[in-house]
Amino acid sequence: MRRRPALTALALALAFAGCAGGAQPPEPANPPPTPAPEEAMDVPRLVTLPEPGSPFIAFNVWVRAGSQNDPEGKEGLAALTARVVADGSTRDRSYQEILEALYPMAAGYGYAVDKEMTTFTGRIHEDNLEAYYELFRAALLEPAFDPEDFERIKAQTLNQLERSRRYSRDEELSKELLFWMAYRGTPYEHPEEGYVQSVKSITLEDVEAFYRDHYLRDAVVVGVGGGYPDGFAERVRTDLDALPAGTVRAVPAPEPERPDGIEVLLVEKQTDATAISMGFPIDLLRGDDDFIAMLAANSWFGEHRNSFSHLYQVIRETRGMNYGDYSYIEAFPAGFATQQPRTNVARRSQLFEIWIRPIALTEPGNLHDRSLFATRAALRELDLLVEQGLDAARVEETVGFLRNYTVNWGNTISRRLAYRMDDAFYGIDQPGYLASLRPALDGLDAGTVSAAVRRHLQADGLYLVMVTQDAEGMKRKLLSGEPTAITYAGPQPDEVLAEDRQIASYPIPVTEEDITIIGIEEVFENR
Amino acid sequence: MRALITTGLIAGLVAVAAGWGAPFEEEDPIFPFDYEKVVLENGFTAYLIDGGAPGQIAYVSMVRTGSRDEVEAGRSGFAHFFEHMMFRGTEKYPNYDDVTASMGAARNAFTSNDMTVYYLVLSNEYLEKVMDLESDRFRNLAYDEAEFRTEAGAILGEYQQGKLSPFRYLDEAVRATAFDRHTYRHTTIGFEEDIRAMPEGYEYSLSFYDRFYRPENVVLVLAGDFDTERAKALVEEYYGGWEPGYSPPEIEPEPAQTAARDSVVEYPARTLPILSINYRAPAWSATDTMAVALEVLGRAAFGSNSDLYRELVIEERAVQFLSAGFGLARDPALVDLTTMVSDPANVEAVEARILEEVERFRTESVDPATLEATKSNMKYGFLMSLENAQGIAFSLIPFVINTGGLEAVEAYYQTLDGVTAEHLGEAARRYLVPDHRTTVTMIQAED
Repeated sequence: MRRRPALTALALALAFAGCAGGAQPPEPANPPPTPAPEEAMDVPRLVTLPEPGSPFIAFNVWVRAGSQNDPEGKEGLAALTARVVADGSTRDRSYQEILEALYPMAAGYGYAVDKEMTTFTGRIHEDNLEAYYELFRAALLEPAFDPEDFERIKAQTLNQLERSRRYSRDEELSKELLFWMAYRGTPYEHPEEGYVQSVKSITLEDVEAFYRDHYLRDAVVVGVGGGYPDGFAERVRTDLDALPAGTVRAVPAPEPERPDGIEVLLVEKQTDATAISMGFPIDLLRGDDDFIAMLAANSWFGEHRNSFSHLYQVIRETRGMNYGDYSYIEAFPAGFATQQPRTNVARRSQLFEIWIRPIALTEPGNLHDRSLFATRAALRELDLLVEQGLDAARVEETVGFLRNYTVNWGNTISRRLAYRMDDAFYGIDQPGYLASLRPALDGLDAGTVSAAVRRHLQADGLYLVMVTQDAEGMKRKLLSGEPTAITYAGPQPDEVLAEDRQIASYPIPVTEEDITIIGIEEVFENR
Repeated sequence: MRALITTGLIAGLVAVAAGWGAPFEEEDPIFPFDYEKVVLENGFTAYLIDGGAPGQIAYVSMVRTGSRDEVEAGRSGFAHFFEHMMFRGTEKYPNYDDVTASMGAARNAFTSNDMTVYYLVLSNEYLEKVMDLESDRFRNLAYDEAEFRTEAGAILGEYQQGKLSPFRYLDEAVRATAFDRHTYRHTTIGFEEDIRAMPEGYEYSLSFYDRFYRPENVVLVLAGDFDTERAKALVEEYYGGWEPGYSPPEIEPEPAQTAARDSVVEYPARTLPILSINYRAPAWSATDTMAVALEVLGRAAFGSNSDLYRELVIEERAVQFLSAGFGLARDPALVDLTTMVSDPANVEAVEARILEEVERFRTESVDPATLEATKSNMKYGFLMSLENAQGIAFSLIPFVINTGGLEAVEAYYQTLDGVTAEHLGEAARRYLVPDHRTTVTMIQAED
């Protein structure tokens, strides 16, 4: 597979080209279509995945804008706009009428907004294709921007931001904060849903303007898959060409900085368990020469929600410390909700990320020791991986696992189509990423994998987030450098106890200036 | 649109009428795949289903034991804990994870009130291997006390990662308020004090395995691309020697509720008020028209297509969401209407409005168009779930868990076809009764 050259240089050039000073002449009515900057990078306008004989048809419409396109002070606008489109009225039907029409078909359409991509997806049984497509088409082309829909959606969004996001799942919050830390000062900084205050400031006019500026015929990629009739995919593409012409303002690819040392964010919260995320920027994207080698290395180190993960074996399986421990080389939001990799979260910049699911206290007063022990264990394992790489046996074991395991990543037409859309983002030629995995994995050896590990991973400079109680106490313990041992409910083998002594005193070198504490109520309140 | 709902898949259903071990081929069944049923002398049952993508199989072992079976005090959460222990290996396969990794299997398990389900999705080249592996752990699981104590820590971790979910708080409060005797009184993950005491339960865990993990209590659903005759032979080979001996627990039935119950629970973090209105429900049944009618009623009267939803969620925005949970359980449990109220000052008004609507359906019929739309929704929902081998197997879980077999799927949809608006009204009068109601309001605790 081949990835197109980095977008950064071209995108930057285009961005600066649009920044000439002085007033701009008014745009002529009905200007001829001008190619969007990305078109120069050869993104297809139509992606098809025919599966004749399937009774299902899947849709995936990718709008080439995401949270990176949110105006300053209006963070969350891309997400709110997508939701108004997907969960609102159209010019001919109220939202209720849409629900009533979808109901007998047991169907709906969803949306997702990530840093770079907004996708509208749906799947329907062939019996109901025409009726369903009429609703789906109208949602994208004829949103009503009804004020009542907007108020409903905005209120639901604010409830989620003010309450659920901060209180109902710390393990997801720690991930979001990690990305915030790592991407400060870049278009990726803010969470896709925005900040509480920024979302409060968003008006319906803002939403309409965002739609007008970004839902453009040449900024939309149409995907259709499954058992659709001849000509149907082309018809969908033609229908969406009714969107206006125009170009989306190019956003430079983020260039996050790797910290010099370990930079820590502690979030103070009343809790009996500490959620932990850590990571650092990597210069690695799907389609790069090192990607498959790193996919294998990362799978061995921390395959998502799978006991194959080495981190899982060290922290959970051997020591029973938590529900699981994993690592990532591509963004994986809401990992708690799925075992399969996320699709349509393609990005021009990624982190290497370690996710330690909440570490609970087992008796009063031992939460910090246990949390730091787990953190030290993860850092130590990362260090060992960088130092030692993977030997031939481990590479063989990992390839053996992945070459079959990855088959399941495309187990539905919606997922197979979504991977094709991501192929378009990354400029990966056919047969595409999924189909290319097995032969690429079969070509790996220990030397290749270990070399890739040394190029991309390190354990000296990273961001560390903990959502925990008594953050000041955690800070003191971090600064003290004192060992943080753990105890067990039953006997452990001598070799485990010996390793525990090494883990407990593994250094986390931090200074006072490296540690920031915020309260839970401050999280994502403002930019 | 109704004209587009074509024939073969959801036309009139024909009852299943074939002998065990013979292929089933019916006219216009709702379940569109051919399958064979194998029943061994020890009571073990396997369904072998031809469907899904080439080269893949879904191997799903359904144990008809869940938290409902945790009858001893201090043992809540054990069915779920035991689910974890099932991954700890046997003498033949000391490292279960290594074997599944070598096959590249996607595998997991889950536990709920009435079931524990173990599944693997993998290449069909491993059919015999997975049958050997799975039968072995169901028959010969082996773990020592140290492993048991270690895994108890992971259970605590799992509990903690969801501890602050407002819906878990609510669920705990609803169960504690609504149930006095039946084991539905506790959640599947269990009470925190029982979870923290789990490390001491090694001997109990062995008895749990001995009593519940027996061939009569487990059904295998194997779906995908495989040779059926070979699979039949493998089932006999690997499961035939499994000793029967299932010992069903004595689950105390819940006494009849004779008066409405109310409680308020405080959530120790930020939340808008959540109101949960529950009614006593019958046990799941494929053939009891009233039971199926109640499931239909929940969707038709209170679902996203309903007048109440339009009014409270869309027009007035009085609530953030409204959900109707009218799926039935193996034993008589609850059906619920749950909503998050947008303004804490409006909780009583929202409750009153919901009860007004409940009363309406006790006296007024659901209109025919809504009933037909609901039936269509339920049928297409079932069909849409049949996309791959795992989906095919999972679609059958309620039927297998509640009846021990998948034949009930045809009976269920046949009963559904016969449900009328009058049946819905009768179900409302029978079950949505004020004296059978339990209402729990969850509010944000004051600072």
